[in-house]
Amino acid sequence: MNEAVVADQVDWAGKNYLIVDDFVGVRQLLRESLRSLGARNIDQASSGGEAMGLLARIRYDVVLCDYNLGEGKNGQQVLEEARVRNLINPSTMWLMVSAEKSVESVMGAAEHQPDAYLIKPITEGVLLTRLNRVWHKKQVFRTIDQACAEKDYLRAARLCDEQIEANRVHELDLLRMKARLMEKSGQPSRAREVYEQVLEQREYQWARAGLAKIRMANGEFEQARQIFQGVIAENRYYLDAYDQLAAAYQNMGRFEEACAILERAAKLSPNSVPRQRSLGNIALKLGNVQMAEKAFRKCIAIGEYSIMKTPDAYFGLARVCGQKNDPKEALQLLAAAQREFAGEHPDMQLRAKITEGLVYHESGDYRRARKAGDELEEILKLTMERPDTATCLELATLLFAVGVKEAPVELLCYVIRNNHDNPLLLEEVQAIFDKARMGEEGLALVRASKKEASDLMNQGVLLWKTGKLAEAVEWMRNARQAVPNNQRILFNAAQIMVSHMQQHGHDERLHAEACEVLHHVDRLLPGQQRFAQLIEQLAQLQPTP
Amino acid sequence: MDDPLADLQNPAPNTHDLFLFLASTAHDMKNSISVLSGTLERLLVDASPKTESAYPQMAHMLYQTKRLNDNLMQLLALYKQVGKPEYPFDVQPLELGQLVEQVVAIERVLLKSRGIRLELDYDPRLIWHFDEDLVVGVLSHAINNAIHYTCDTVRLAIREAGGWLELRVEDNGPGYPPALLKAGAIATREVAGGVNFLTNSAGLGLYFSSEVAKMHRHRGRSGSLRLENGGAYGGGCFILRLP
Repeated sequence: MNEAVVADQVDWAGKNYLIVDDFVGVRQLLRESLRSLGARNIDQASSGGEAMGLLARIRYDVVLCDYNLGEGKNGQQVLEEARVRNLINPSTMWLMVSAEKSVESVMGAAEHQPDAYLIKPITEGVLLTRLNRVWHKKQVFRTIDQACAEKDYLRAARLCDEQIEANRVHELDLLRMKARLMEKSGQPSRAREVYEQVLEQREYQWARAGLAKIRMANGEFEQARQIFQGVIAENRYYLDAYDQLAAAYQNMGRFEEACAILERAAKLSPNSVPRQRSLGNIALKLGNVQMAEKAFRKCIAIGEYSIMKTPDAYFGLARVCGQKNDPKEALQLLAAAQREFAGEHPDMQLRAKITEGLVYHESGDYRRARKAGDELEEILKLTMERPDTATCLELATLLFAVGVKEAPVELLCYVIRNNHDNPLLLEEVQAIFDKARMGEEGLALVRASKKEASDLMNQGVLLWKTGKLAEAVEWMRNARQAVPNNQRILFNAAQIMVSHMQQHGHDERLHAEACEVLHHVDRLLPGQQRFAQLIEQLAQLQPTP
Repeated sequence: MDDPLADLQNPAPNTHDLFLFLASTAHDMKNSISVLSGTLERLLVDASPKTESAYPQMAHMLYQTKRLNDNLMQLLALYKQVGKPEYPFDVQPLELGQLVEQVVAIERVLLKSRGIRLELDYDPRLIWHFDEDLVVGVLSHAINNAIHYTCDTVRLAIREAGGWLELRVEDNGPGYPPALLKAGAIATREVAGGVNFLTNSAGLGLYFSSEVAKMHRHRGRSGSLRLENGGAYGGGCFILRLP
């Protein structure tokens, strides 16, 4: 296929364009350039906020966005928010414009990259060549992106192989995508093969870092650490390697080093919400109150313009305030967090109350800490739903510490029932019981909860194996109600529904139910092989239209 | 401590402020140059020497604007320590067709306005790995330079030979003066610090190009830069070799 011929077929005139630049002269220049391509629908914005307003109303085919937009959101934050809020289509071409080579283009973060970085000055000819190139690449990735959106990672990986045959120039991008898909579908050994294949061609830092990530997932933290350090020595701005290196240190229990690495990364690129949050959390853990405070305050400040903003920074800073004996500011922060985030985080009230309890407990106000504990117990009684595992453990620890007994026991049993085959977590729960001087009682409770979950699962699997498929489906449906977040039960439930459809034919409602179960388990713990396999089997069951 | 990053010196706080100030000023200057060169190109495309009496002066203005842009781009790259791990170096595979298309898009109006022909000799399907922005910067700088030295033709020839990519910018002028050839030899020496920016105005571009060349490394080999007279037309030759 001749690329020039394909490029000539692009209808640049009929597309919707958005130009974002704070400099009016540049906006006019880009508009003139687009007009000479025949473009008629060109909108302009002079700030990130203005751009968001337009993006919320209109679907653009092409966005030319300057990185530096003065006060307010920068270009990267506009892109992130547009993607997260689904204001742009996968087919939208996003070209990020900057005055010089941007550090962001080599940071190595996989998410939310624009389709191209352009360096000023951008003349008409340059703009057209880059637009054509992006368009062509979008066509190569179109079906792959579609499969990814459906979470059918195995199909997406096969499509990568097909495209490599036809498009050698995109081979490396396709291999990188394929490796990531293999990781997402829980097959690190196949991802490793892809990275090694790339490294045979050239020393690409992302492939080297990919190998290190697989080592880390495998528990080989020291080897991973060495590779990440090598990557950083080669390319000081490969920031993803810093974050990974810090994680490797954390896994080895070397928190001081992890903190030092994050501090360096935050100096090189201070405007990352997740990085400042990690730095704050680890500094807090190390008792470095000053550093934690700085990181959390920075995190809140940059979060003002970012869709990535997080309540964790508010909670962290509230803990810092508690340790500095300033419960007043802590309470203000908790109120602010609830105002800001109640919309998208349903468990905000609970988490704020937990932090309040911790703040009082750490500042030695045991009376108020106990009061927060009692209030938490009341909140828990209002609903059957429980927060995520980490919050449950934190909450149980706090409740024991302030002298509440029944609620934490119930929470810990809930955690065990939903994770009955996770030995590390069982140990953690037992440790919490031990600390509350309930070691013996805890041991019996852990054992009973574990048995409860495995009995539920085994009975369902038994029905399935003995061919009573309809009964098995029904049994697992009830089991899921009793134990909503148990991965083994969820996977088996989906497996049994797939079996049912394989034997008795496709059923739309069962299909939808299986999909829902699988996406739920993928949210709980992404990147599992069984998820990828079951999604693929489900897709194959779908009757061809 | 076995952490290789630990011995990195932290920059003084005022260095950071200065950097932010310089970056925002550079950003502003780039905007001005964008508008300047964009407007000039537009005027030149719409005009011809017959209809516009100031056509040669406009063409010269565009040439000078390109020089200004080259210098600013090179200064920024050097400020960001091109050639060191501190530089955001970004190697990607690219078809030569896409590289050349980019260079031609940048130079087309200037070449036409100066009445200079650009001859191309390359395999558009060949894929090589390099930092596109840097190499485009080096090549367009070399072509702008050749426009100054040539009679009426500039030739961009790219070929693969023995695991190297050789990119040649040649012209059909009288060749580089001895002083420039000497500056080229000094600037491209293995040891750094051989450039005298004060006495040699070509030094910046040569130094930048040679740092870009050296940054490209593969299997123990690194890129190089060479100036000579000769080539297809016996004029000046600017030769970039990438592993």
